[in-house]
This record gives sequence, structure tokens and C-alpha cells, in this order.
Amino acid sequence: MIRISVNGVECRFGAREALRGVTLSVGRGEFLGLIGPNGSGKSTLLRTISGVVRPVAGGVLLDGQDVRRMSALDLARALAVVEQGDRATCTFRVWEVVMMGRMPHVGRLQRESLRDVQRVEWALQVTGLSALADRHLDELSGGERQRVVIAKALAQDTDILLLDEPTSHLDIGHQVEILDLLASLRETHRLTVVAAVHDLNLAAQYCDRLVLLDRGRVFACGEPETVVTRENLATVYRTPVMVTRHPSRLRPQVVLLPGRAPAQGSHAPAVHVVGGGGTASALLESLAAHGFRVSLGAVNVTDSDWETARRLGLEVIEAAPFSRVDELAAARALQAMEAARAVIVADMPFGSGNLLNLQAAAEVAERGRTVIAINGSIEGRDFTGGQAEAAFSRLLAGGAVVVSCWEEAVRRLHGLLGRTGAAVEPGGGEGAVLGGTRTGQVGAG
Amino acid sequence: MSVVSTDSPAVAGRIALQRGRWACVLAVMAAVLGAVTVLGVGWGAVRIPLGEVVAVLLDPQAHSASAFSTIIWDLRLPRVVLAGLVGTALALAGAGYQALFKNPMADPHIIGVSQGAALGACLAMVAGLQLQWAGIGAVPLAAFAGALAAAATVTLLARSAGGLPVATLLLAGIALGTLLNSLVSLLVFLSGQQLHSVIYWLMGGFSGRSWEYVRMCWPYVLAGSLLMLGLARELNALLLGEETAHHLGVEVEKVKFLLLGAASLLTATAVAASGVIGFVGLVIPHAVRLVVGPDHRVLLPAAGLTGATFLIAADILARTVLVPSEVPIGVITALFGAPFFIYLLLRRRRTDFHQGLD
Repeated sequence: MIRISVNGVECRFGAREALRGVTLSVGRGEFLGLIGPNGSGKSTLLRTISGVVRPVAGGVLLDGQDVRRMSALDLARALAVVEQGDRATCTFRVWEVVMMGRMPHVGRLQRESLRDVQRVEWALQVTGLSALADRHLDELSGGERQRVVIAKALAQDTDILLLDEPTSHLDIGHQVEILDLLASLRETHRLTVVAAVHDLNLAAQYCDRLVLLDRGRVFACGEPETVVTRENLATVYRTPVMVTRHPSRLRPQVVLLPGRAPAQGSHAPAVHVVGGGGTASALLESLAAHGFRVSLGAVNVTDSDWETARRLGLEVIEAAPFSRVDELAAARALQAMEAARAVIVADMPFGSGNLLNLQAAAEVAERGRTVIAINGSIEGRDFTGGQAEAAFSRLLAGGAVVVSCWEEAVRRLHGLLGRTGAAVEPGGGEGAVLGGTRTGQVGAG
Repeated sequence: MSVVSTDSPAVAGRIALQRGRWACVLAVMAAVLGAVTVLGVGWGAVRIPLGEVVAVLLDPQAHSASAFSTIIWDLRLPRVVLAGLVGTALALAGAGYQALFKNPMADPHIIGVSQGAALGACLAMVAGLQLQWAGIGAVPLAAFAGALAAAATVTLLARSAGGLPVATLLLAGIALGTLLNSLVSLLVFLSGQQLHSVIYWLMGGFSGRSWEYVRMCWPYVLAGSLLMLGLARELNALLLGEETAHHLGVEVEKVKFLLLGAASLLTATAVAASGVIGFVGLVIPHAVRLVVGPDHRVLLPAAGLTGATFLIAADILARTVLVPSEVPIGVITALFGAPFFIYLLLRRRRTDFHQGLD
């Protein structure tokens, strides 16, 4: 059941377009995260939903009702908002502020009922503020004030909770505490939560669905696995990141790569790896850490190299588990090799299952692509009765660079491509005649 | 509901304790107001024994033959009551503006409403209008019109994109106030023979005010005060920020409009009754806030009571320090208020002056 639906919302502040046609919906009991760089429109979107900002086009429906037509009181009974960066410096006491959360439920001439008092008591308790209840707001730290704002919103007892960076002033203990609390409230009360979350890892851990905003538009929307990817983040945040997997919750985790040139990301040189059975895992990690755009394949789903590549958020050309690489997968692998600046063939055994990969690599080598082979001998690795050996010979004849270990492969790659991918001399023997989209950028670099 | 509750919630205890404290504070303030009223009636050029004052006030019939009865009922009491009403009006208006602008420096003068009232009154004085309406001369009426016109003008000037941003409102108020002030000065300069009465009126005071003034004032003071008290919860929410208030169900623009209207009505009434008396709206809400805290549900009634007490006391000083002549009451309040204003300025300059304008 859809609780919030945002339809083609456009917002403008003067000449600045804060939202440019945002459409999304939030279901009952859903925990939706809004992510995106500063100024991408997260706060504006929340403020549009809460009726503070009026869109110039489009609208927001709350259970089918246009928020612009709802009174402030009706809105306050339907949704509570945890505002960003609490600047309130007034001298109210903590419990008085939390009690104000009951305002929409207490009549003008009414007194607070036992229910109101109990709800406030509970909100203080779950936010860990019971001991601070008598403190003045201006005596609290930023994190404590943030918790007061959250407690006030919880006291408001609404079905929908909007939070604008609720954890930005909190230490990690309280971050997890508050988000766990929201997650459990969602379970017990079917609370619908929409939160702008600055921390991508927390967003990926706690949200059912993420909306990645980029300059006022929805860049990506879906489950964390599909939104928090290396490509999306590199494009939107303009910084290279590594996406791995949370060790126990299997949600994506973002690892920052400090010191990398921000020009990388989507323009980083592409490298295709032929691997499998764990022979390429260390190489994949190293390549990803060096900021290359890495693709792998074709490999079987559940293969340990497949797992590594997925954990790193790399592009993987997949074949069904425990079966041979079929023509379709091989064709896609060939495509990836042709698009890549270099191909690396791991020191791995070849059987009928993965022979097509080696043949594809041989083919691109013959066409003059840069191919690096780890281990120049196929001896003991050919389980195809000579077919692999033949392909390997073609590979070497095509000018493949032979190295002895994966570390050397990475070093050679740097030498061949240059660190930022701009140092390749045109007309040279290796990797010079590149087709596809990458060429233009290299030439321009 | 999975709300966890204890048998005697601590919050319930806090509410009870707070309500008890508020009742005590208000009772003490009311008692002080009563005492000052008795002093105000008793003291003056003719000193009336306080016992006599109380007796006459409590049972007018039995003491109608008293030598002081006429002085008490026809001269002193209307003056004291009027001072009380004006003090209440100015203190509440000040508290209202301070909540509205989230700026403790705000005061009826700062947004130009007092200057508007003064200009209206000066125009009537210089024109020598002798019109009467319900027994009230043209001067107070014109003051009233001027105050409302100034409030409307400053609101229109500051309004932008359907909102009423605080910083713009303050700037518009200062600009308008300066303009109106210079117009008043020009009028005074051009008026010649009426110069003395206009200047004296500008300094404010309660000299010779009769029951007619009280009759004119009290309905407006009552209406403005009730409106303001009715908005107490909304004012509390506004202290947390306008967006927060909106999220708590407050129709922010409507409340700001009503608040501006109520505070301006109170200011206009005060100026019409007694001329320009400064600093009451600044000092009283501040002092009261130190005692009762920021909650408007107690701050507003407490400020009303204390404002009345303060102005009655200031009026006693005004007519007793230089007997037989009277010091203008505006001089007395300014002597208390201006140093306080400077103190606030010095304190805020160092801390969070800019935050106050957000």
C-alpha cells in the first residue's frame, strides 16, 4: 500500500532548480533512504513531502491526499519530522520539548492526558534521554540535542517519520542505536520511514530501498545492492570508491579510496580479467584498489572469483553455476575484452568449461589488444586435450606480455597504461589501437 | 500501543510540579501588583494613609464621606489603573514581538509601530483637531490609526513570497521607524506654538488621565491579551523554529499574522492612552523570563502582571521625586531600560547575535 507518492515534483529557489522532476512512492512500513551529495535535493524533497516547500510543478500525495490541501494540524498528525542540524538554542528543558511533540494531539484548552505523558515518557526512554530530562536544551551537546528532536518526533506518534540526516551529529554508538530503534519501530508499528542519510553504509544497512539523488533528479532507485554500486557512486559523487559487502548482513559497504585522482571513476581505464576458482581474487582486489574499472568473466555464479568481484562491485560476466561458459557468455566476455584497455589472463587451469574465455583472449591479442598472461606456460593447465594449448599459443603469438605473478601484472599494467590511463603512447605496439568509447578520452588526455 | 509506562510517570510529576510553581509565581506577582496599586493610590502630592486607601477601595459606599474619597476615585485610581493597563499592554506586546522575531531585542519601537502611533497623534495635535468619538479626543484615535497603519506597512514591506522573514521584518521596521521618527521631528519643528505639548506627550505619561481613558483602553487590552494568551502554545513551538512549528501543526503564517495584529493593537492602545513609553516591552519579558523560564503559557500572564506593576511603580516615582512637578514617565522607564538594552547588546554581540536573526 502506497503511503507517500511524489509525482514529478519540481522545486525552485530563485534561479536554482532544487528538484527537477522527482517521482517516487513509499509503501506502508517501508524504510526508504535518500542518498546523494550535498545539494542534490535530499532535504528539499523531505521538505516538499512535509508541506514546508511548495513545488512549482508536480505534487505529493499522502494516502491519496494532496499535502498542499492539508492543514498543518492534519499533516502533524500524519507525519513527524526530524529536522537537520538542530539550531534551537532556547532554554526549554528536554522533557518540555519532547512534550511539545504531543501538541497536535492535545486541544488548546485541554491538559495533557495520561496517554500523552506515557508517550513522552517512552520517547525519552527509548532515546536514552530519561536521565537528561530536566536539562536545559542549550546545555546539551549536539548529539544530545539531536536525540531530543528525535524523541519529540517519536512522541508525536505518527505513522510516517521523515528524518533529515538524523544521525549526522551522533557518535557511532548512538547512530546504530537510533537506526536500530527506527528499524524496530517499523516492525512493531508499521512505521513508514523516509530518511536522508549522509552515511552511505548506514543507508545501505538499514534501508529497504534507496533513492540516489543527483542534482535534483533521481539517478537510481531500488534495493541497496542495485543503487550502491561503484559506477553509480563514482558518477554521482565524482570520487572513486570501492564497494564491498558487509561481512554478516550481505549489504553493500562503501570503502573510500583517499588520494585517488577524482578524474578517475567512470573515466578510469578498463581492465578485463579472465579468472576463476579464486586464481584472480587477489588481482581483482588490487586492481579495484588502484582505481581501475575492472570486469571479470565469464565465470560461474558462486565461483570464488565471482564472489570477490561482486563484493568489490565489479562488472561480472556470469555463467550459470557449475556449467560450462556458453557462447552467449563468451560473446559478452569478448565484448568486454574489446572495450577494455587491457586483458589479464590469470594463472588458471582451462577445461572445456572455460575454454571459450581463453579463445576470446587469444582473439583480442591477435587483433593487437594489450593482453597480459600470468605464467607463460600452459603446461599442466590444459585439460582440454590440446585446444587450450593451441589458444594459448595464439595468445602469445598475438603479442601477449608474459609475467610471473599477479603483482607483476599490476606493475606492468601501470607501465603500459599509466596510472591515470593517459600515458599510453599512440601508435605503440601495445593497447594503442583501441576501439570503442575509451579511445577518445585517451586521445584527449 | 507498546508504550512502556511506569506506575507514576516522572513526566507527570514534573508537570504537576511545574504547574504548582507557575501558580505560586503568578500569585506572588498578583499580590505585588495589588500592593503597588495601593501605594499608587496612596502616594502623591497628597499622602493618603494606606489603611484609608484600602478601606475606601474595598467598601466605597461606607467611606463615601471620606475626605480622600474624591482624590482616590476620581484622580488616583483611574491613573493607576490606566498605568497598569498600559504596562500590561506594552509588556505583552514586547513578549509577542520577541517570540515573533526570535530576537530578545525586539520591542514595539523596533518594528516602528510606536513611531506610527506617535506620528498619528502628532498630526492630530498639530492640526488642532477637536473631534470627539465616544468621549475620546482625536489625538488618541489618530495614534491608534497610525500604529495600525505602521504595522500594516511594515508587514507589507517585509512580506516576500508568501512568507514573513524575520530579518526582512526587522530591517523594514527599523527603516520605517526612522522615517516616521523624522516625520514626527519635522512636524514638531513646523508646529511652533504647540511645541511644548507635543514634546511632553511624546515623552509619555499619565498626568490627568481620567476614567474615560480607562474605558477606552480596557476592551482593546483585554482583547489583545486574550488573543496573545490563546497563542501561547504556538509561540512556544515558534521558539523551536518556524519549520518545527509547522511540523507540530502550527499554521505559522496565520499565527504570525495574528501575533503581529495582537501586539500592534496592544501597542497602539498604549500609545494612544499615554504617549510613547519606551523599554517596558523590552525589559519586562526579559526579567520575567529569568524567573519563570521560556514557556509562554506562564511567561505571558507573568509579563502582563509585572508590566502593570512596573509601570504603576514608575508612575509613582514620576509624580513623587520632584513634587510638585512631574517627571515624564518615559524618562523613568528609559533610565531603567536603556542600560538594560546596552547590557543585552554587549552580551549578544559576543555570543549569538547572528543566530537571533535566522
